[in-house]
Amino acid sequence: MRHQKRQRLHWLDYLILAVVAVFIAVIWFRISGSLNYKWQWDRIPNYLLRWDEDDQRWYTNLLLQGLINTLRIAIYSSILALILGTILGIARTANNLAIRMLARTYLEVLRNIPPVVVVFIFFFFLSEQLIAALNMEAWARDISRQDDIAVWEFFFGDMRRFPSLISGVIVLALFESAFVGEIVRAGIQSIGRGQREAARSIGMSWTDEMRFIVLPQALRKVLPPLSNQFISLVKDSSIISLISVQELTYKTVELVASTRMIFEAWITTACLYFILCFGLSLLFRRLETNARQ
Amino acid sequence: MKLTRRMMSAAMGIALATSLALPAVAQDARADLSKTSVIEQIKEAGVIKIGLSLFTPWSMRDKKGELIGFELDVGRKLAADMGVEVEFVPTAWDGIIPALVSGKFDVIISGMSVTPARNLTVNFSDPYAYSGLTILANTAMTAGMSIEDYNKPEITFAARRGATPATVIAQLFPEANLLLFDEDGAATQEVLNGNAHATMAADPTPSAEARKNPETLSVPFSETFLATGESFAYRKGDPDASNFFNNWISINWKNGYLKERSDYWFKGTVWANQVDQ
Repeated sequence: MRHQKRQRLHWLDYLILAVVAVFIAVIWFRISGSLNYKWQWDRIPNYLLRWDEDDQRWYTNLLLQGLINTLRIAIYSSILALILGTILGIARTANNLAIRMLARTYLEVLRNIPPVVVVFIFFFFLSEQLIAALNMEAWARDISRQDDIAVWEFFFGDMRRFPSLISGVIVLALFESAFVGEIVRAGIQSIGRGQREAARSIGMSWTDEMRFIVLPQALRKVLPPLSNQFISLVKDSSIISLISVQELTYKTVELVASTRMIFEAWITTACLYFILCFGLSLLFRRLETNARQ
Repeated sequence: MKLTRRMMSAAMGIALATSLALPAVAQDARADLSKTSVIEQIKEAGVIKIGLSLFTPWSMRDKKGELIGFELDVGRKLAADMGVEVEFVPTAWDGIIPALVSGKFDVIISGMSVTPARNLTVNFSDPYAYSGLTILANTAMTAGMSIEDYNKPEITFAARRGATPATVIAQLFPEANLLLFDEDGAATQEVLNGNAHATMAADPTPSAEARKNPETLSVPFSETFLATGESFAYRKGDPDASNFFNNWISINWKNGYLKERSDYWFKGTVWANQVDQ
């Protein structure tokens, strides 16, 4: 018979909480004693939203702009990573040996190199070739010179920084697709052979079998690790600040360089990332319970 | 016609082969383009892309989140004189030279001091600003020390990685310890906390920091180190760009624009109310 876990606070719980609170207070006093730092929290709200006297309206400032960019990058690269990862996962379970080997090589290379290194290699070697080949800069600049670009700005932010945004999205998607590929492969392989053989026996081709039998079940089964990967992608997006993509971490670095408010700026950014990732994890938990029913 | 596995793998093989050939084609295009000068490219595109890294008061974000500073004024005047638009590309300092070499922007105007090591990778124009480095020290920890006393193993310096002060400290005070950080703010914080004895930074930052924290920090010596001057940096193999930038800088020294802007940003504090300092 299972023990019911206690739901009300016992005196022992209060004791433990008191010990933890005292511990935190002691550390806080030691830190503020030796830190010699002038806190300026009153200046931070201005960098989230600022009130413009002339226009009489609120404008988003550095930190919120960075947060919105991070959200854009996370969404676009996770969609791209999902597509690439699904293709990779299918390729990993293909019958053709060459395709299996290529997929395996790609996965192993990207999983075993730290993301910072991948980002730098991609940025300095590949992304410039890609942008030059597609003539992306001139195209983006022409758009930014037009008058009515509200829709473009909603989806992509400042169009002049569009090539760097795309570089960041692509490299993040390439990196994450390795992990998504492994997850999808595990999902596909968890579908019993019996189902696949039954599908073949009634005359379904390989594409039909994938589309109607295997993939729907596999993707629904691996939704928990996929949502975990998405949240991990939001955190990994802070790495592309090293290639000067204008997302939240980079904007915070700029804020610190301009105002020397090191601790306030970084603590605020940590809170913003936490709100974003925790909100996403709550959303995914809701999705998972819906999918299970 | 049924889509057999063999056809799929053949198609994938062809796609892979063409995708590997594509960067080679782009490579040729890039090589051709770089034979012509960056000045031509700027004229053709109608915009000059200037790479900079935020560093008070060369370039910083004001309360509205806009870029202001000495570099911004210089860049805007340069673009106006060339008759093109200007686009500032804020870049992390560590990667600013590789970004220039790989073509992310046309020129670096970011208070970059001329050093032989950098000159091997990029070309420099004539200096458009002269700002020396001064020492910012923790008053309590360095009381009564002469400049030779700083060159001892017990002394710890803090500096921003990849910036000139780090190299100068390593040269002038080889016996002392050197801690490297990604930002100046972190290096100054180390001195404030007492974990490092001193840091070095380009004027007027040390004086401004000493004014903000008079009990803890001070500028012990009035001498400046390494006033070699800061210049524009641009890609190698471009004589037209050299000629254009050098002449532009020389003209703007002679007509007083560079001196006036430099005094406004470095010696005055009129702009201080626009920025949270």
